[in-house]
Amino acid sequence: MISINLTNLTKIGQLDPVPWSADLVKRMLATAKQRLRDAELAQNSDETRFDCAYTTIRAVADIGLHLHGLRTSTSKPGHHQTAIQCLVHTLGVDAATVRVLDGLRKQRNLADYDGELVTDAALNECLNQAKAMVTRVELILRDHPDLGA
Amino acid sequence: MKATSLSASELLFPLQYRGKALSLLLLQPQRRLHVREIARLTGTVAGTMNKELDRLQRAGLLEKHRVGNQLQYCANQQHPVFPELSALLRKTIGLADVLALALMPVADRITVAFVFGSVARSSDTAASDVDVIIIGRVDFGEAVNLLYEAQATLQREINPKIFANDEWQAKLAAKSSFILDVLSKPKLFLIGAQRDLDQLDQSDQDRTA
Repeated sequence: MISINLTNLTKIGQLDPVPWSADLVKRMLATAKQRLRDAELAQNSDETRFDCAYTTIRAVADIGLHLHGLRTSTSKPGHHQTAIQCLVHTLGVDAATVRVLDGLRKQRNLADYDGELVTDAALNECLNQAKAMVTRVELILRDHPDLGA
Repeated sequence: MKATSLSASELLFPLQYRGKALSLLLLQPQRRLHVREIARLTGTVAGTMNKELDRLQRAGLLEKHRVGNQLQYCANQQHPVFPELSALLRKTIGLADVLALALMPVADRITVAFVFGSVARSSDTAASDVDVIIIGRVDFGEAVNLLYEAQATLQREINPKIFANDEWQAKLAAKSSFILDVLSKPKLFLIGAQRDLDQLDQSDQDRTA
């Protein structure tokens, strides 16, 4: 809900600095794309498909942080939320989209921990957003061949 | 609504129809609505609502416009108490009204919308999330952004769960434990009423999803 500044988040320990690794970015991107393929398989249950698409979104959010030399500290609660909300700063995602992604994160918690079912509307949104996120980060990586990722 | 604790809006507007008509029309003064729309959006009976609208119009609080053979109502913004009355409504109307108002731009695509979970059971704490089910043709992202401001107003996280009409019916037919659980528990209707939910149960063809 509030605008997040990457530097401030690093100061309060929500984010940790990490050394750049082109190899890690490649692996994270491969994970994001594999999960997206799993999410697109109609024979999987809606819950699995949603979970895979959500993982794609989160993997891309982590790539976004890595591009800025950062990662979330998993010892702090809410590291998924942090990575998603940082997308405004890391990959230039607009605020309205970040709100939707954060809404998907909450749906994923409700499905995982409260046994709520995944609706078609939530699944479709998650799939569309996951695809858009992969496209977005691939374009950014293509525009920066110097990164070696 | 809750019988245990009387809210300021229930106390100030003991006539349910009056409170609903005024909050719908005065909080969106630019909107002109006809009686059936007003009844549907507030989950009330058109005949009774019509009488209340007529009274409010004769008192000068509402304006009446004839468009073709339709009678449309809207707030009379020139009335001397309009600013005070709308401020009062904005400050006293409950959570349900804030949510219903947030969903107004897509109300014509919603068959029924309601709050379920701890808030509807009145067992919520200040930190409880507000769980909302929307049945109709609304996108998830659209709903999240429509409810975003309400989230700030209410200082609560809002979780929308959206079903297309036929999806709701299919999951009900398949005896989804989640849906059966929701149906058996208290609900706070935002758009439409219990009978709209019952109708979904009975007929598949009546309404288009």
